[in-house]
Amino acid sequence: MFKLMKYEFRKTWITKLILLGITAAVESWFLVSLYMEKEDGLAASIAILMMLAIFGVLFIGLQSVITLHRDMNTKQGYMLFMTPNSCYKILGAKVLENGLSIALTGAFYFALGALDISLLFAKQGQLNQVWQMIQDIIKSFNEEIPLTSDALAAFTFSLLAGWITTVVTAYLADVISAALLNGKSFNGVISFVIFLVLNWAFGWLEGIAIRNIPNVVTMMLVRGGLSLVVAAVMYVATAQIMEKKLSV
Amino acid sequence: MLESKEVTKQFGSKTAVDHISMKLEKGHVYAMLGPNGSGKTTWMKLAAGLLKPTYGMVCFNGEPVSIESRKHVAYMSTEPYFYTWMTVKDVGKYYQDFFEDFSYDRYLTLLKQMELTENLRTKALSSGMMAKLKIAVTMARDADVYMLDEPFNGIDLLARDEIRACILSYATEEKLLLLSSHLVEEMEAIADRAVFIKEGKLIENVDLEDMRTQQGVSMADRYRQIYGHTEG
Repeated sequence: MFKLMKYEFRKTWITKLILLGITAAVESWFLVSLYMEKEDGLAASIAILMMLAIFGVLFIGLQSVITLHRDMNTKQGYMLFMTPNSCYKILGAKVLENGLSIALTGAFYFALGALDISLLFAKQGQLNQVWQMIQDIIKSFNEEIPLTSDALAAFTFSLLAGWITTVVTAYLADVISAALLNGKSFNGVISFVIFLVLNWAFGWLEGIAIRNIPNVVTMMLVRGGLSLVVAAVMYVATAQIMEKKLSV
Repeated sequence: MLESKEVTKQFGSKTAVDHISMKLEKGHVYAMLGPNGSGKTTWMKLAAGLLKPTYGMVCFNGEPVSIESRKHVAYMSTEPYFYTWMTVKDVGKYYQDFFEDFSYDRYLTLLKQMELTENLRTKALSSGMMAKLKIAVTMARDADVYMLDEPFNGIDLLARDEIRACILSYATEEKLLLLSSHLVEEMEAIADRAVFIKEGKLIENVDLEDMRTQQGVSMADRYRQIYGHTEG
């Protein structure tokens, strides 16, 4: 499994390195602006860092779906599928590597954000302004999150787990397209519809599960936990279809 | 060792392999022959477990091809299939990571014979160099079965001699070699049995020596008879 994960990482490490490079450049801009007290530079660099954090995590998930699609639809897939590994292992390595990448990227940007906010506060000492900015960011995702450390941690967990579930759902839709609908008209459209239906079904299930939970932190933890359970179910279904039906 | 039981593969309305049943035994070098589109490559991919049959099955030592059989069956696709980010060294390391029967020393020896170096990037290889690399990495395995799809494609005459010698060095009583090629004369010098496939169907699986002595025809003659290209 570790060897498969290593090669999954090798397939995507250049884009991750590019993301890291851009982040380092923008972070340098932020630090210089902070040191030189340039308000415009600070505002712009913070906005870009926020964008990088959000789209970086999204992109890492999307790239994993693209990689699986390429493995199933190009000759390079022989490298993977002719090895003596089951589809459970092959897909498991993809899910774990990507889940780990998403979690680490999320944690990295979370830590970077915390560091930058601390620096901003230490330099400018404007606690209220900094606090307001954090609130605005969090509220853009969810109005009800209280600004406590446990709530923020639960919120981050729920957000990342939800994204991992979305990625695994996309795996399932893509595998259905490649294994069951291969050669049929509109298979891409059908698999996209399957993806939307599965996401809707998950949203509906989640709605029922968290409906009567009054505590926001508990609700976020339940939502994150449920996401991971759904991701596990989707993973088993996807691997089973690959094992029985996938031709590369 | 390899048994094809009524194997059929359909792609939409097209039947690429049509109820092929045959047994391939160890200790032989088989030439799988047929014009383009006859089903040779599809059958090999079914035997390698890359394609799932629509009907029937391919068995290795009595069991349907599976993860276990991939440990003992070395398959070389006719198409380039290495990841484009890989160097020649990465390809060897990859095989070493996943195939217990792979020998990196043997790989280095074969690379030297093929005049390839480890630092070359796979995406920069010419078609001839790519063909040599595919042979080197496949033959560096100590597998029970070798299935080589068009191993001489894109390879010049001199390198072809080296590859032929390399392949023949693996032809022992314990191993099964299956090679597909449109270079019939080339195959005649290597194979002792021939499998003729036409339009997805098995025409015959014959011993070449018997065919020569009993029918007085060579493999090339038989090829012409089956596929209609008789000499004037």
